[in-house]
Amino acid sequence: MAVTADNPAPARRLHRRPTPLSARGEPIVWITGMAMVVCMVMILVLLGLALVMGSLTFWPRPIERVTLRTGEALLGVPVRDEAYDPGAQDAAAIAALRQAGQLDPATLDREGRPKRRLYRVGNREFGEPFRWVPLYTIAERSTEPRAVLLERLDWGVWIGIPEAIVRQETIDLPAGSEPPAEGRTPDGLRYEQRVTGEEGPGGAVRVLRRTYLAEGDSTWDQFKLVHPLSRATAAKVRSMQKHDVGEVNFRLESARLKMREAELALARTQSGRHAPISLPAWLSIAGLGLGAVGLGLSLSASRSRALRAGRPDRVGRRMVSAVAWCVGLGALLGAWLERPWAAPDMTPEKLAEVRREYEATTARLNAEYEEILRRIRAVDFEDAATRIVVREITGGRFAPLRQTEPDEPLRLSQVVLGVQANTLSFRGKVGVYLERWREFLLDEPRDTNTAGGIFPVIFGTVSLTILLSVIVVPLGVVAALYMREYARQGLLISIVRIAVNNLAGVPSIVYGVFGLGFFCYFVGEYVDTGPAPAHVAARSSWWVGVLALVGTGVGAAWLGLFARPKPGTAATGNQRALGWCAAALWVGAAGGAVWLLLTTPYFNGLYEANLPNSVFRSRGLLWSALTLALLTLPVVIVATEEAIAAVPRTMREGSYGCGASKWQTVRRIVLPRAMPGIMTGMILAMARGAGEVAPLMLVGVVKLAPELPVDGHFPFVHLERSFMHLGFHIYDVGFQSPDSEAARPLVWTTTLVLVVVVLMLNLSAIRLRSRLRRRFVGGAF
Amino acid sequence: MVAMNTRGGQPQTNLRPIRPVGIDVPSPHHRETALAGAATHSTGDRPSVMDAVRTGAAFEPVIHPEIDALDPIVQTRGFELFYGQTKALHSITMNIPRNHVTALIGPSGCGKSTLLRSINRLNDLVDGVSTRGEILLNGEPVYAPDVDVIDLRKRIGMVFQKSNPFPMSIFENVVYSLRIDGERRRNVLMEACERSLRWAALWDEVKDRLKESALGLSGGQQQRLCIARAIAAEPEVLLMDEPCSALDPLATLKIEELIHDIAERYTVIIVTHNMQQASRVSDYTAFMYLGRLVEFSPTDRIFQNPALPETEQYVTGRFG
Ligand SMILES: Nc1ncnc2c1ncn2[C@@H]1O[C@H](COP(=O)(O)OP(=O)(O)O)[C@@H](O)[C@H]1O
Ligand SMILES: [Mg+2]
Repeated sequence: MAVTADNPAPARRLHRRPTPLSARGEPIVWITGMAMVVCMVMILVLLGLALVMGSLTFWPRPIERVTLRTGEALLGVPVRDEAYDPGAQDAAAIAALRQAGQLDPATLDREGRPKRRLYRVGNREFGEPFRWVPLYTIAERSTEPRAVLLERLDWGVWIGIPEAIVRQETIDLPAGSEPPAEGRTPDGLRYEQRVTGEEGPGGAVRVLRRTYLAEGDSTWDQFKLVHPLSRATAAKVRSMQKHDVGEVNFRLESARLKMREAELALARTQSGRHAPISLPAWLSIAGLGLGAVGLGLSLSASRSRALRAGRPDRVGRRMVSAVAWCVGLGALLGAWLERPWAAPDMTPEKLAEVRREYEATTARLNAEYEEILRRIRAVDFEDAATRIVVREITGGRFAPLRQTEPDEPLRLSQVVLGVQANTLSFRGKVGVYLERWREFLLDEPRDTNTAGGIFPVIFGTVSLTILLSVIVVPLGVVAALYMREYARQGLLISIVRIAVNNLAGVPSIVYGVFGLGFFCYFVGEYVDTGPAPAHVAARSSWWVGVLALVGTGVGAAWLGLFARPKPGTAATGNQRALGWCAAALWVGAAGGAVWLLLTTPYFNGLYEANLPNSVFRSRGLLWSALTLALLTLPVVIVATEEAIAAVPRTMREGSYGCGASKWQTVRRIVLPRAMPGIMTGMILAMARGAGEVAPLMLVGVVKLAPELPVDGHFPFVHLERSFMHLGFHIYDVGFQSPDSEAARPLVWTTTLVLVVVVLMLNLSAIRLRSRLRRRFVGGAF
Repeated sequence: MVAMNTRGGQPQTNLRPIRPVGIDVPSPHHRETALAGAATHSTGDRPSVMDAVRTGAAFEPVIHPEIDALDPIVQTRGFELFYGQTKALHSITMNIPRNHVTALIGPSGCGKSTLLRSINRLNDLVDGVSTRGEILLNGEPVYAPDVDVIDLRKRIGMVFQKSNPFPMSIFENVVYSLRIDGERRRNVLMEACERSLRWAALWDEVKDRLKESALGLSGGQQQRLCIARAIAAEPEVLLMDEPCSALDPLATLKIEELIHDIAERYTVIIVTHNMQQASRVSDYTAFMYLGRLVEFSPTDRIFQNPALPETEQYVTGRFG
């Protein structure tokens, strides 16, 4: 059939073919499902490993007594086994054993390579705390029920057999007495004593006496009884050392700073560097101030029709009057600062007065300090008396007081935790496990971060993250608000948007370098010591600068008013040009403001007296938070912009239709509605910030921060202090530690804590978000 | 196979081009075909709307003398509006009578919403809009430079085609316009809320859940909430832009009753696509076409005895 325009081909129904496989979705479902499974497995393995390894660290494990074929014996906690390539010696020894028919085949792996076991043997004063023992060299393995593992305040763990708890004191016996080497106290306790060779008052014979409070098998029961008391005493000593002594030191330092400030003030007054401005200049500043305030007053009060009807309209008039107020008050402030009749801040007489006061305070504080030291010594003396003797079995040495005093037994209070691992019931093990967790989460690190807790680390991480979001969220939201709601959508704003998005791709270490150079050194120095002396402007020219700045601001505001198109009309070319001029003036004003700040003669820094110590001119929490805020700013801006753009136009129009102004609409409709999206941005920023390590190493994280950023001294929050961070701590413990084998389990545990902390921060933000979402986005039709 | 054969055997003469009936797009072809009848009905030598559209000129509308005798609340004087370079309203001059319901009808895209949004200057928010001529509210020009737009919008309530409750509680929605005026007194707010909700016939349905989110209401309830919100500030004029177009018949009925009640106290200007609705709720009806006002008469006249053939064709559904 011919197909023409009048005679189109008949609609033909095609022969139905079975739907091809490609049209069915199954293969795609499988592929996508597989991809998801791979992702899930990776995430689960990661989390699972951190969870399992991290939570096993603190479980108490049995202590083995190992007797080698050489006769040597040792106590140790088995850590792991591995096969190794035998050296010539090993091979010969194995061959000899095999010949003698004494080789246990279990000591070799399937390929015939010998196996060895890593034992944690502790006792670092006398050797490596971890020891590889080839299995074939072991003659006998048994569990030693009496063996204990002591976690000590320093020098790691000690593994041995408790022998006695003794009370050690020096006693003066009457002159001329012949003290026996051994005896019993009236209570029936055995003691040993020896003459020290010193002579007490009145020719008394001074002896060192060790009274055995418990011996042999009863030692451990006694330990459990007296250990908590001993720890409490030690805690008291530590607290006195830290708080009372710290308080005195702080007050001494404050007094010194006050004195130093007075000296600096006198030096400034005498140097003439800050010479007052001339009288005519002062008069004109004062006159200008009065005039401007007068103008502001009259404008605020004016009800003149002419002003109201013409342009500038009501808003303009208010703005002009506000500017007049600013100028006036600023000039009056200057006039007050420079008042010619003022007495100089500091005179030599005043300084002498301050110095006398300082000396009195110092004397008083030093006396106080002596008193505190005396009290500390008294308690410490008591604490030093109770000792515990725990012998290791290889050389029969007991745990010493210090490495340098091997024949003085350990103080009881030096034991943080003692575990008789082989006799522990399950409940006992759980108790030890929880106790170790408590210590880990709530205590400070000991022993170069290989033991103790990570409380300051958690604290640092959490406070950094919170501070970071407190800085970045308002900043990002306000910037995004301007970009989306107020700025004219054009080329310029697109460029800004692209720049912001690209900022997210800059490697984080770059931010670290910037933070160090800009915040720590530049801004920090400004805060500490004010503008560099070479840059400080003469007072008169600085005030001229202030007036020029105000003038620029006023000009920009006026131009901006005239650049506004008439309502109901589009902006004309002239208005556009005026707008650009206004923008340029604003930029100039901002630059001028920075210049004024950097050359002001009225600011000498907040911490000049601290020199040569720096306060803010160092790496610290505030600078870290600012650096990370910069790093995460793009995330927040992009998320907020999207959230704002997603607010339906009908909602805004409804608000405008009710007579709401732009700001009211933004505040009451746009922001609440966009809040869940903003929270998403915050969550992303927090997650990124909490996990960042590289820039922090440059701008504030340290291996061991001596003080938390929060304490009881004014102003209570010390953002200039350096801090510890979980991410860096993991690196430090794992790879910078002197005892890496002991620290390895802590790496996993710290990782687990980091994951949990980030998760908890995120979860709380997510909960907040879902609450907001329920309130603001709600159901549909 | 059988089906294919029968289809294929059909005669092809059925497939002739069908005459288009709509004239949404003002192409010359359409105009001729659609208004072929209109030309024949033409009264006297008056130029038709089509002529005005073709030459791009304004059109002298037919306005019933009864309307101009009434007290006007909103007056437009040669009002024109441009979206960028495109003229959306062509010299509209009309007086909208006080305390009556005025309906704006016309094919979509003819500028009804634009006219409505010009009255409370909501079009100022659209980039590139410019206006000519003037609109008076109570005799005062709306587009004068010293007019406070915020204040103006407070005197004019508006209800939109798509209900737009705010993301807050029902209570806060209703008292929104009082809140933005800084009203804090609880009893004043509560009283305004109850009054407006009663007016909007919503009080009984929501009085126990005032604290709940307004977004949980049904579509019809949301639209009535928007009406309550619009009348909470006691506006002088209530603008409604197709308030029922997204609602089911029952909800529509409720809102129509509502409009009827409201008209005792307020002036209502309502845009609608539904002829029945216009005839049910309005006292006066204006017919617009392609940015021009064509005829403005009492509603019964428009629907029963329109002056212009174009109007008749539109209301009887023969075009548009
Ligand atoms: N924001 C806008 N920008 C540009 N043109 C618009 C805009 N809004 C409406 N228009 C145009 O103005 C004309 C009138 O639109 P509108 O008033 O919405 O019609 P109606 O409400 O009668 O259906 C239409 O041609 C439409 O395309
Ligand atoms: Mg419309």
